[in-house]
Amino acid sequence: MRLSRPISALGRGSLVIAREVGGIAILTAQVARALVPPAMDGRELVRNLYRMGNLSVPIVVLTAFFVGGIMVIQSGVFVERFGATGLVGWGAGYAIFREVGPVLIALMFSGRVGSNNTAELGTMTVTEQLDGLRALAIDPIRYLIVPRVVAMTVALLALTIIGNLVALVGGALFSQLLLDLPPALFYYSLVDNLRPEDLIHGLIKAVVFGLAIALTSCHFGVTVRGGAVGVGRAVNAAVVAAAVSIMVLDFFVTYLVK
Amino acid sequence: MSVVSRIQALGRSALALARGSRDLAALFLSTLRGVARGRRRPGETVAQMYEIGNRSFLFVAVTLGAIGMVMVYQTALQLERITGDLSLVGPEFLSLLVQDFGPTITALMLATRVGAGIAAEVGSMKVTEQIDALRMSGVSPVDYLIVPRLVASLVMTFALAIFGTAIAYGAGGITAYVSYDLNPRMYFDVSQVTLADVGLGAVKTATYGLAIPVISGFCGLRARGSSEGVGRATTEAVIGSSLAVIILNFVISGLGIYGLGLVEP
Amino acid sequence: MIEFRNVHKSFGGRPVLQGIDLEAKAGEVLFIIGTSGVGKSVTIKHLIGLLRVDAGEIWFDDKRIDKLSEREMYPIRKRIGMVFQHSTLFDSLTLAENVALPLRKHKRMRQRDALAEARTRLATVGLGDYSDRFPAELGDGMRKRAAIARTLTLDPDVALFDEPTTGLDPVSARRIDALIRELSDRRGMTSIVVSHDITSIFSIADRIAFIYSGRVHAFGTPDDIRSSADPVVEQFITGRPEGPMETPGF
Repeated sequence: MRLSRPISALGRGSLVIAREVGGIAILTAQVARALVPPAMDGRELVRNLYRMGNLSVPIVVLTAFFVGGIMVIQSGVFVERFGATGLVGWGAGYAIFREVGPVLIALMFSGRVGSNNTAELGTMTVTEQLDGLRALAIDPIRYLIVPRVVAMTVALLALTIIGNLVALVGGALFSQLLLDLPPALFYYSLVDNLRPEDLIHGLIKAVVFGLAIALTSCHFGVTVRGGAVGVGRAVNAAVVAAAVSIMVLDFFVTYLVK
Repeated sequence: MSVVSRIQALGRSALALARGSRDLAALFLSTLRGVARGRRRPGETVAQMYEIGNRSFLFVAVTLGAIGMVMVYQTALQLERITGDLSLVGPEFLSLLVQDFGPTITALMLATRVGAGIAAEVGSMKVTEQIDALRMSGVSPVDYLIVPRLVASLVMTFALAIFGTAIAYGAGGITAYVSYDLNPRMYFDVSQVTLADVGLGAVKTATYGLAIPVISGFCGLRARGSSEGVGRATTEAVIGSSLAVIILNFVISGLGIYGLGLVEP
Repeated sequence: MIEFRNVHKSFGGRPVLQGIDLEAKAGEVLFIIGTSGVGKSVTIKHLIGLLRVDAGEIWFDDKRIDKLSEREMYPIRKRIGMVFQHSTLFDSLTLAENVALPLRKHKRMRQRDALAEARTRLATVGLGDYSDRFPAELGDGMRKRAAIARTLTLDPDVALFDEPTTGLDPVSARRIDALIRELSDRRGMTSIVVSHDITSIFSIADRIAFIYSGRVHAFGTPDDIRSSADPVVEQFITGRPEGPMETPGF
């Protein structure tokens, strides 16, 4: 392979990424402008809150329950090694609230709701339904995008709170089953050591991730080209972009919000 | 909704789930049979390795690098508050990475990229009747499409899990040095890693590498309709693969650590 | 009322419109005809700002509209409605909700009143019994009629129809023709219809613009067009495969 080929491939790749990031930035500005003063379609907001929030509860509960279990399984190793039974509840809670809960629930949310959103907007785009809205003098940003962005952010915040609680219940249950640790001990270890900042830190992440998932999934949806194949490709690109955003933003929030 | 209709709905979804699991298991078995028969389409397998592996390197590097930095930062923050002793951060983090986080988080990332990619591609072929065309010409879609993806995924998941673990470990070390002034020689101490850690990590990696292509291919082959069908298949593939990784991790960790005593507690 | 002055538009370096001059009078039914891919739909999409001209001017009611921003286009779009070729009803809404949407958005109606009004509107296009169905459950002809009802809810002065009869059976097609003619005769609505359906062209058009190689090649009443001596026009309306006409893609 000649040297120029990987370099030109790298250049092309950077151009593609720059274009998508630019597109997401423009969409973010449009959504922000439509939010002052807040003008959006109330019915669309409620409809989206229901299908993005309520209908995601089972998958979040399932994920969170197993994640709580895994945290305890893994901390078991340290408990046996250092005899730190009094720290299991706190250790699991700390990790779940600040890190594992928001990140994993956001990843599942992106997989279920974000990709669904891209597929739906993508289908509307290829069948000219967005132009149909504009032709009726209805702004697609206000009618379609803003309610989705708000709904996804609110839904992910609520789901993260629910998921955190379920993960703790799962953790307490598996501490009893695997480590013979009574739930009361798990509970006191948690409430004695955990600070409100830990909880808030995680909830800030949930809001940031919710916005990121919403904006990336909407962007890839409304820029779909080329029928069914294009929709599949857009969903793929959207979930990858959302995963990268979640991980990178997680890093920044961790550093910036103490 | 009345109680009866609720129960009926529950029964219907349970039946659908059972039928789905049965079909998924059947697809898994026929894929394994295809691998055993050796119809591997070497060209296609290499192309899929490139698609699944090489094209995920940057993605895995960015995501695992970020999570490595975050995990070390968060852990050190707490340890500094409680004990002030950071000497075990590196060795313990490496052991956790090797037996669990490295393979699992890499696989979660691949579940989104590779899972969605396979479902979108196979699903598009399904709705444009290319799968039917394959069947008509006497070619099994499983041998033709799923088998090469399974082989490629198995190989590349291993490569990427090792790569991702190394990146996360390295990025964590840099964070510990920059933010907590932790001596790199103390952090990069590999003596804690046991053979059991490596074995458990390898079992997980292999399981994820098999599960993701089969589940995603299954979702793709089930696609119906047109563009919204492909979109739905892609969503199902991402969710199914991610959930499979989380549940498989739970089962294998539990069995490995408590059941078989593989990792001595 | 509507005027195109020397409008140019190309896509990816391929010129489609190369100097369209066109004018529609208030209350008339103007047909834009020509072969597939010649730029008929492209022409009318410029009128409501879905596409932007590369060069030239578009005038509506003595006001130049081709340079207006997306936001400034909204008042124009309330006066110029468009019925798309593929209906573009929203999949997630029932027919009544689809028709109620512009009422809710622009006439500040409450949902209940808007739905009631929508049902009446649907009844006038013969879809009263289908108000609560979703678009995917209906045939093309019904979807097209629902889309027309939705476009007409804002009582526009002008309606653009993009191939309203393509893909419909002959009976449904003639019903749509009758509806367009009636809107013009009874309410004085101006209609611009993109079509290559020879039957509708000669049964309801007041005037016809024949687009060929990016320009309005012939313009006149149905009689003018029918008796045209131009060999390209003659070939199009008789549908002969052999002739002087250049058809891209063949």
